[in-house]
Amino acid sequence: MRDARGAWIAALLIIASLLLLPAIARLDGRPHADWQQFLGRFHPLAVHIPIGLIVLVPLLEIMGAWRPALREAAGFVLVLACAACLGTLALGYLLAYGSGDTGVTVSRHTWGGIALAITLLLCLLTRRLWSRGTELRLYPAFLVCAMLILLWTAHQGGSLTHGSNYLTEFMPAPVKRIAAFNSVSAAGPNPDSFYAKRVRPLLDTHCITCHGASKTQGGLRLDSYDGLLRGGKSGPAIVPGDPEKSLLLTRVTLPATDRHYMPAEGRPPLKPEETGWLRAWIKQSASSTATSVAGVSISDIPAEPPPQPVGDYSALMGDIRQMQQGQGAKLVAVSSKPSDGLILNTFDVAANFNDAQLAQMQRFAPYIVEADLARTDITDASLDTLSKFTHLRALHLEGTAITGNALAKLAPLSQLTYLNLSETKVTTAALVPLKAMSNLRHVYLFGTPAQPVSTADAAQTTSAGAQ
Amino acid sequence: MKQHPLCSDCERDNSIADLPIPAGIKNEWAALETRRRFLGRSGKVLGWAALASLFGEAAPRGDASGGDAKVPNRPTAREDLKLPHFAPKAKRAIYLFMSGGPPQIDLLDYKPNLAALYNKDIPDSVRGSQQLTGMTAGQAHFPVAPSHWAFKRYGQSGTYVSDLLPYTARMVDDLTIIKSTNTDAINHEPAIMLMNTGNMNAGKPCLGSWLSYGLGSMNDNLPTFIVLQTKVNSKENNQPVSSRLWGSGFLSSEYAGVGLRSGGDPVLYLADPAGVDREVRRRMLDAVEQINRQTLQDIGDPETNARIAQYEMAYRMQASVPELADLSKEPQSTWDLYGPESKEPGTFAYNCLLARRMAERGVRFTQIYKRGWDVHDNVTGVLPIICGETDRGCYALVTDLKRRGLLDDTLVIWAGEFGRTVYSQGGLTPENYGRDHHPRCFTTWMTGGGVRPGITYGETDDYSYNVVQDPVHVRDFNATILHCLGIDHNKFTYKFQGLDQKLTGPTPASIVPGLLA
Repeated sequence: MRDARGAWIAALLIIASLLLLPAIARLDGRPHADWQQFLGRFHPLAVHIPIGLIVLVPLLEIMGAWRPALREAAGFVLVLACAACLGTLALGYLLAYGSGDTGVTVSRHTWGGIALAITLLLCLLTRRLWSRGTELRLYPAFLVCAMLILLWTAHQGGSLTHGSNYLTEFMPAPVKRIAAFNSVSAAGPNPDSFYAKRVRPLLDTHCITCHGASKTQGGLRLDSYDGLLRGGKSGPAIVPGDPEKSLLLTRVTLPATDRHYMPAEGRPPLKPEETGWLRAWIKQSASSTATSVAGVSISDIPAEPPPQPVGDYSALMGDIRQMQQGQGAKLVAVSSKPSDGLILNTFDVAANFNDAQLAQMQRFAPYIVEADLARTDITDASLDTLSKFTHLRALHLEGTAITGNALAKLAPLSQLTYLNLSETKVTTAALVPLKAMSNLRHVYLFGTPAQPVSTADAAQTTSAGAQ
Repeated sequence: MKQHPLCSDCERDNSIADLPIPAGIKNEWAALETRRRFLGRSGKVLGWAALASLFGEAAPRGDASGGDAKVPNRPTAREDLKLPHFAPKAKRAIYLFMSGGPPQIDLLDYKPNLAALYNKDIPDSVRGSQQLTGMTAGQAHFPVAPSHWAFKRYGQSGTYVSDLLPYTARMVDDLTIIKSTNTDAINHEPAIMLMNTGNMNAGKPCLGSWLSYGLGSMNDNLPTFIVLQTKVNSKENNQPVSSRLWGSGFLSSEYAGVGLRSGGDPVLYLADPAGVDREVRRRMLDAVEQINRQTLQDIGDPETNARIAQYEMAYRMQASVPELADLSKEPQSTWDLYGPESKEPGTFAYNCLLARRMAERGVRFTQIYKRGWDVHDNVTGVLPIICGETDRGCYALVTDLKRRGLLDDTLVIWAGEFGRTVYSQGGLTPENYGRDHHPRCFTTWMTGGGVRPGITYGETDDYSYNVVQDPVHVRDFNATILHCLGIDHNKFTYKFQGLDQKLTGPTPASIVPGLLA
């Protein structure tokens, strides 16, 4: 029993020193010696060794019920797991201490690691009693605890390396709603401000993984406007009105090879336009509420869907030329790449181009991505034909006899982003079916009953209509 | 020698040897003659080869029956050139050319610090080694002349615009303003040639001709490239504008810009004379074409081809131009937008309205020239006049294109050939000053298909003398324009004089990604 008592004393000493560790070497958010960071960076690598060993222990114990040799091995693996856990904990602590990491997740992860090491030591101590049959409940209980702590600590570690929204980012929306994850940071007082629309998302994308609530490197938190002004160990991140003195801007515009360059560690750099926004915003007093900044537009132009390639029409070139000679309407290549498709031009035959002629185009329909039928003689009957032009992205119908009664027929044109109905008889009511066309961004209704021109100040007339 | 079909006398060719001229000239002629004959013969082959490539698979029009406004058999896409290189954002362009050099400091390049420096000499460190024109090189002082006009911020972008441009101010959120445009030339002719053709010397095709050649026509009834000149105002200092600015250089004359007159008939002698009906005209043109084809066969000069195409174009313009210039069906909203001046042919506003109508009708490239920006003196007297003439037209054109849905695929460009100096040319008084030519920085803008709206690109120093950030050289400016139209400026070349000629010239040029949408 002497060595048992010795083991208990040694274990309790280790436990006590583990508990005191954060008090002795306080994580003060200041980077320390480089060798600490060098060794510490092996933590993410080494961490997988104790994880594997710890998971192995309960497996061996359970299997040991049938094969006693495995149970014997479990004791050995547990010792190894314990040693590996202490070693990895040391490396992890060096990493946090050396690089000056602070933040909620960092401290959770640290305490998780400490708790895990302690639990494993307790397992080691109670296992003797368990295998002798003197105390049967403690060891399994500690082992279960160790597994739960392991799971939780590992998750915190994952959040540190990959970001806290790593798991939830691509979670299906219904699950997300149930789980009620809120990964978007508060927009601030004015959701329409330049800060909220441009600066905030940029910081969210590039900075807050390391300078947020979960990880606060250099004591800098960029997940709030106050955090920006307060700054970190090196001083305020921004000096309103003075881009040159603003560390945030300085760091992201340094040469990528500079030691102080941000985003660090090979993360994607800011785009020139993004640094431009930052500079313009800071120059103009870095307000959290102002909606406009000189020289930068924050009008949200929704991204267009990428064009769908069309098939190769080169085999039809002969037919196309023949058709052009016959009726005069032109099918012009968008570019030298056949998959970019064809444009139907009727500029020079507009007066003679009618429903019948458009119908002749039907066999080229799968290749036509834009149809300019402005001021032609086509009528509502042509909408039936056009509904088969499924690759159309832009459709010009201005100045035609289209009434709008049959616009619903355009519904199959899923690629359509541009529709010009200027100077037709289209009314607001007729436009309703267009609302269902999800890709349709630009609808022009100049000079129609749907958008009467105010002669008092024509200049104020806006161009985009239905959307 | 073959006989022309309309030629009744069939004498043998005159021999130069029989003529009473000095023997030296005869010898020279004989040498030339041999060379000409040789080229003529090979030209036959080359000419037809060129023709065949122009006409694609379709055979040249053989029948002379001449249906009215028959569309020729030319392929509309430049299949042989493989253009456009990629899907373009803009299909057409309208270039508002501010000839003479608009003073950026009085219009869009706001320099608030200059007021405190009134009449102080511009520091030598700022002037650097910049050569000056003969007009100011001899000045003992180079006193800073702050702008006479106040600037205010406009739009969501908060862009500063001078009080001279109240209409431009309304559309700043649509514009891509480039403060850092710079050029190599300090005098009008080289600078305006460089801006238009990419070379200071005459003989290179201009932007419009390159586009016309490379992208071809969208409407066979109108020229691919049209030039509109604005009526001259005698109160302004009007530098001459010559047709070589819209010339096709070494490209076929077919690609040269077609100028419409600023007053009276847009095209002279376009209407058939009394007694000549459309059918007679057609027959006459068919006969002329036959003769031209004969000549082409004999001599093989591609310019004959251009002539054939131009006769045909002129015939079709007989119907299309009157329709283009007929503004009687324009709604009242047009006049409200463009202002009363736009009813008067030849004004800038009228030309802007025509440019919109051309855009609607598929004209590939329209260039409007406005002269008079050469304000060497009396800036406060003259500048309000020029701005008054142009400001509303620019705004109306952009707004009209935008509301009609045409700005999405039309690139509008506003530029002069250079900027003007911050220091006063001649006497500086609190009321007036003059500005000399300045190549190191000038302000231009673009809008529409392919460029990013609502931004100001580039920055100049406190004197608007040097570019301090994001310079855009004329070459880069032109490369960016080509890019918007789907053309890679490095790949779009034409072999001439042993060089793969291109708009941006042999000096490396690059597109400016910061300007692109």
